[in-house]
Amino acid sequence: MSAETLAARPSPLSRRGRLLLGLLLAAAAAWATLGLAPSDALPGEAGRGILRLFLEGALSPALTYEGSDVPADAPPLLARVAGALWRTVVFAVAGLSLSLVIGVVLGFLGARSWWEDDERECAVRARARAPVRRVLAAVHLSVRVTIALMRSVHELLWAVLLLAALGLTSFSAVIAIAIPYGGTLAKVFSEMLDECPRDTVRSLRAIGARGVSVFAWGLLPRAMGDMSAYAFYRFECAVRSSAILGFFGYPTIGYYLRLSAENVHYREVWTYLYALLALVGLLELWSSRLRRRVVMR
Amino acid sequence: MSERLRRLHRARPRSRFVRASAAVGGLCTAYVWCSGAVEAGDFLSARRRENLVRFLTEDSVPFPLRGEGFDLAGAWSWAGEVLGGRGLQAAVATVAIATVAIALAGVLSGCLAPLAAATVATERPVEPAAGGGRPAWRALRLIVRAGMIVMRSIPEYVLAFLLLAVLGPNHAWPAVLALALHNGAILGRLGAEAVENLEPGPLRSLRGLGASRRSILAAGVFPLALGNYLLYFFYRFETCVREATVLGMLGVVSLGFYIQDARAKLYYDEMLLLIGLGSVIVLAADWVSSRARRYLRSGV
Repeated sequence: MSAETLAARPSPLSRRGRLLLGLLLAAAAAWATLGLAPSDALPGEAGRGILRLFLEGALSPALTYEGSDVPADAPPLLARVAGALWRTVVFAVAGLSLSLVIGVVLGFLGARSWWEDDERECAVRARARAPVRRVLAAVHLSVRVTIALMRSVHELLWAVLLLAALGLTSFSAVIAIAIPYGGTLAKVFSEMLDECPRDTVRSLRAIGARGVSVFAWGLLPRAMGDMSAYAFYRFECAVRSSAILGFFGYPTIGYYLRLSAENVHYREVWTYLYALLALVGLLELWSSRLRRRVVMR
Repeated sequence: MSERLRRLHRARPRSRFVRASAAVGGLCTAYVWCSGAVEAGDFLSARRRENLVRFLTEDSVPFPLRGEGFDLAGAWSWAGEVLGGRGLQAAVATVAIATVAIALAGVLSGCLAPLAAATVATERPVEPAAGGGRPAWRALRLIVRAGMIVMRSIPEYVLAFLLLAVLGPNHAWPAVLALALHNGAILGRLGAEAVENLEPGPLRSLRGLGASRRSILAAGVFPLALGNYLLYFFYRFETCVREATVLGMLGVVSLGFYIQDARAKLYYDEMLLLIGLGSVIVLAADWVSSRARRYLRSGV
């Protein structure tokens, strides 16, 4: 970088400074809007009692039911925890596998490199005539809009919608995860495809490859590592989402956690929390080992 | 030629672990879909279809448009009333919750990140041999990292639910604190990585000049790591807005509160309208955060 370009640019510190100042002002305004009182952030008399109970529960998570009003046919607590954990994973696996299909299809169709035909890209639009190109551009735009809309509604809100439309069925939980996750995967996949190095693409084009084959052999293998690492990371998120779907009546871990908390059985709450933490921790370990092997640096 | 290709193919990098992971993933997926654990067929049953048709053709249609009295002006004023009244108020509250939460998360992660970074939290910071350190330093890093793992593994929704029982429902703190703790832990981890990946040269020269740990942090680590950190920060802001919307369903007054309210009253038309409003807010936050990131990178 030469001296002129350095002088022509404003210093990066001032840019950050402006952003931070804006952020501070926004936070102050938001604080005032919400009317937050710092004293309310600490528990009151009753809250302290609950907090004490809750923290005591952390040291001695329940291994059997805490209450005495357990129905005779209820499974042992640990079996119930294992079942809830298993169903949490089942919903997450089903939701993520569906969203992977959506993510790959929409991610390809949403990637600029799938459509455009300037020098660096592999073109599907390249050989089409002008009116066809306009139609294809419209398809590209509508795919991107669809991705944004799928992503912009939280999985819990999709669940609420699907509960109203379909009622309580495990398939509605799966779709509630699959739609927003499909959108997120599609967005990230298309960005990864557009941003991955173009060297292979260039050499393939130089030896005469065109169109989809450049995409499939030049671009996809370069982005594949990042894409699979990200997909696995999303699985971890899907497990968390699946867990909280239980708050809406699905039989995942959130359902039992909520029941126990509402009955003030905090030792049982901790059993569920520890189970969820162990599962997520295990997945995180797995995901980081996988990332080290598949992500190209 | 083909012999050479075959040899290259055989010599490609492979990993047993990756293959085993893919196999486990594939088997689990096949099992989940084939075993009947997910009732995909039930989706097509007559009762569900009926429910779906009723939802689409009656429940979700704005009520002034239902049946005989097709009243477009009425629908318009109904939408204006819902969106302009509680909709607007809840939208402002949602964004405000997310903003306060992300600011607190920023402060929290600023405290945690240096404590978790192996290059700083050690008795001889930023020196070439840094990284190990006495057991006390190692224990400190381990505790901070473990705490962050726990905080980011518990979903915000569960955190807010538990905080609601402790703090009471009459203010926004349960939602704000849940988001701040969860995101503070995530940003703390990312910040610690940003600190560890810093170019060691400038920091070592500060150390060579005799700077203390605190001055190295203030004059070297924070300014240098801030750029990368802020990129993550604005990315998390978007997620915060998304989550702030739904935390309302627990009883804090954000958009989710009114969505839950409409749902409980079976006003599905109003519920859809509010969900649409939530979608607009999230898209707006997405736009703001991507603009902020672009501004950081290139100044536009």
